Amino acid sequence: MSKCQYDQEIDNYLLDRMTESEKAKFEEHYFNCTACFEKVSERDTIVRVIKSREVLFAPGSAPQGAARSMGWLDRLSEAFSARKLAWAGAAALLLVAVLTLIPLLHRTSPEFVLNGEDTVRGGSITLISPVIDIASTPAFFEWQKIGDDIEYQVSIYKNTLLWKTTTKDNRITLPDEVRKTLTPGVNYSWRVKAFSAEGTLIAVSSRVQFKIKAD
Amino acid sequence: MSKRQDVIDLDEVVAKYRPVISFRVRKSLGSYNPDWEDVVNEILTQAVAKIKSGEFRGESSVGTFIYTITSRRIIDYIRQKTKVLKHIPEPSAFPDPHDSIEAQERSALIAGAIQKLKPKFKEVLYLYYYKEMSRDEVAKELGISPRRVSERVNYALKLIKKQVKK
Repeated sequence: MSKCQYDQEIDNYLLDRMTESEKAKFEEHYFNCTACFEKVSERDTIVRVIKSREVLFAPGSAPQGAARSMGWLDRLSEAFSARKLAWAGAAALLLVAVLTLIPLLHRTSPEFVLNGEDTVRGGSITLISPVIDIASTPAFFEWQKIGDDIEYQVSIYKNTLLWKTTTKDNRITLPDEVRKTLTPGVNYSWRVKAFSAEGTLIAVSSRVQFKIKAD
Repeated sequence: MSKRQDVIDLDEVVAKYRPVISFRVRKSLGSYNPDWEDVVNEILTQAVAKIKSGEFRGESSVGTFIYTITSRRIIDYIRQKTKVLKHIPEPSAFPDPHDSIEAQERSALIAGAIQKLKPKFKEVLYLYYYKEMSRDEVAKELGISPRRVSERVNYALKLIKKQVKK
């Protein structure tokens, strides 16, 4: 198969243009072929970036090529960049606000970043602590109660799951052996899931990242 | 050549297949969905159990074996969620706020690389990936051959990768 045809196949997969059986065949192949999987995964990352940032395509440099292509970029710029730049501005302001708080912390402390989105399910859970102002390695984790007779499942992650526990209370104390493993300078995150008495998942919190400042 | 089950290194299997399973699971569940990591771990647990118990004997390749478990688990998950939510869970759109910091940095580098591309490369990427036009449609829009469209897209991707790897 020529390189060009193969690339076309990856694009068809990533842009959801394959039939179910074509997809299955393609997927089975990349489960068996590391080189192909890397190609697919790399291209997927780039395509995701392209799809998430229309503002990239506003004209920045001097016009080149046919007048027709400038027309595309011009239209784009009008349609999107003002709005997107406003959002980017708001996000930048928020970031500045967060960053100015950090010098106010005098001791070693983890930086907590709320990753925003609540989840797709009906309810969400507000995480109370640890959030931004923390003096040392968190001894306990606390969140907002959402009802009676709820079982909460708390998960703490590095890249993968580090530790998980369940409780009916709305806080947990970290056992010493887990506390000891938390290293400064490493990214961690945690989240809470709430289950009803029957075991149905009813709410999930955002996954909050934290990092203990290295000395 | 298929591996006999007593020759399979379980730690190696887990390490080797976690990325591809994660990729496949996130594609179906969407990265907004916090369950994806648990599902990946369940798949790996199941695979390891089947290898240990001898249920997998190396009659197919390990990749196919893992792929089969992965597909089935994803189908089960969606079926389960459809019952609770009364509709099929939507895979996430972009971007992904639950990405690790490293992944977010990588995305930022890619965005920077795209920003630096000449307009002719930006425009094919925009039409082909963002607007999801077909190769022929893009060709018609820009007044170039379909083959030239592919060449330009692939070259743009190559430039991006080169820039990011620096």
